[in-house]
Amino acid sequence: MLSGLFNSTTIPALGEVLNFAQARHTVLAGNIANVNTPGYRLRDLSQTEFQQRLKEAITASRTSAQAVSPGLAYSEPGDPMRQVRSSLENLVYHDNTNIDLEKQVAEMTKNHLLHNFALTVMTDQFQLLQSAISERV
Amino acid sequence: MLPALDISTSALVAQRIRLDAVSSNLANLNSLERDASGNMQPYQSRYVIFQTDEALETKQGAVGVKVASVQTEQIEPLYRWQPSHPYAIKDGPKKGYVAYPNVNMTAEMVDALVATRAYEANIGAMELSKNMAQQSLRILG
Amino acid sequence: MTPITGLPLTPPQAPALANPLAPANAGGQQFKNILLEALNQVNTMQGQANEAVQQLVTGGDVNPAEVLTTLQKADISFRMMLQIRNKLVQAYQEVNNIRI
Repeated sequence: MLSGLFNSTTIPALGEVLNFAQARHTVLAGNIANVNTPGYRLRDLSQTEFQQRLKEAITASRTSAQAVSPGLAYSEPGDPMRQVRSSLENLVYHDNTNIDLEKQVAEMTKNHLLHNFALTVMTDQFQLLQSAISERV
Repeated sequence: MLPALDISTSALVAQRIRLDAVSSNLANLNSLERDASGNMQPYQSRYVIFQTDEALETKQGAVGVKVASVQTEQIEPLYRWQPSHPYAIKDGPKKGYVAYPNVNMTAEMVDALVATRAYEANIGAMELSKNMAQQSLRILG
Repeated sequence: MTPITGLPLTPPQAPALANPLAPANAGGQQFKNILLEALNQVNTMQGQANEAVQQLVTGGDVNPAEVLTTLQKADISFRMMLQIRNKLVQAYQEVNNIRI
């Protein structure tokens, strides 16, 4: 009963979004750190791929009455989630890198906004549950 | 916890070393140094080689950066006609010339600018990492 | 002098009290329906809010500001319902404590 307490809310899905946002933040920070490393190519975690997986997981969890399984944000090398969006690709410079610093910072900011949004909504859901339990508005 | 902070810090360290190399080059525009065989040679520019730091790799594919090595250039020095200089070349086709360092000041200044820009970008990334971590504490209400 | 014949001494009929429980029941029925309908509305709003959030995080075409507004509306209506429920429980307890 207690584990099913959260399944009717969006808390499991939002937790997955948070995991993804933090993992992607690390990858983007790695890109910015390696902006001058010769031979380093852009790395990223595809947001559309993650959203697709999340949608499937939510549908599956509805039919089987189980929680959205954790570990959606985890990817192996060669995973399609690791492909870089084509609009982020840049021309290859003479030192064999293709990182555009401005685009990386912009992506990081957008990712940060997504993270904060998911966090705020999740906190709100928790507080709603708490007010229901404590009968205190 | 928070590998993003470690990765950004590795970049700060690497860019600082690069800036040190640039400062060294600009400071030694006109100096001589003693080479392996004990002769006084003109100063050659130092440059750094960056490499991805596998020790900092996360499971999602984010890597840090490290300075693989600091190399010395091997370019032709500038020659000036100074036959009475104590270090003038005694014999050969360059007799009477003194060898001076051939540091390209413009290239070094541009390199310093690029290093500063990368440094600032990494500081920005660190700010976002910190902000993310602090915001996450709000889950506890 | 005519003798006083029996007066019609039927007790006055209390108007509309043939079934003393009917009006209270009808009122109670209406109130229960209102309450259930309000609960359903709160539930629907919560469902809509959850749906909107899920649409947003799975890449749907929905405005984040709109999602937040929907969430806040659901939140406020839930808290209103909770407060109404608290007041009802309080009233029931007060009624229970009336000493006969």
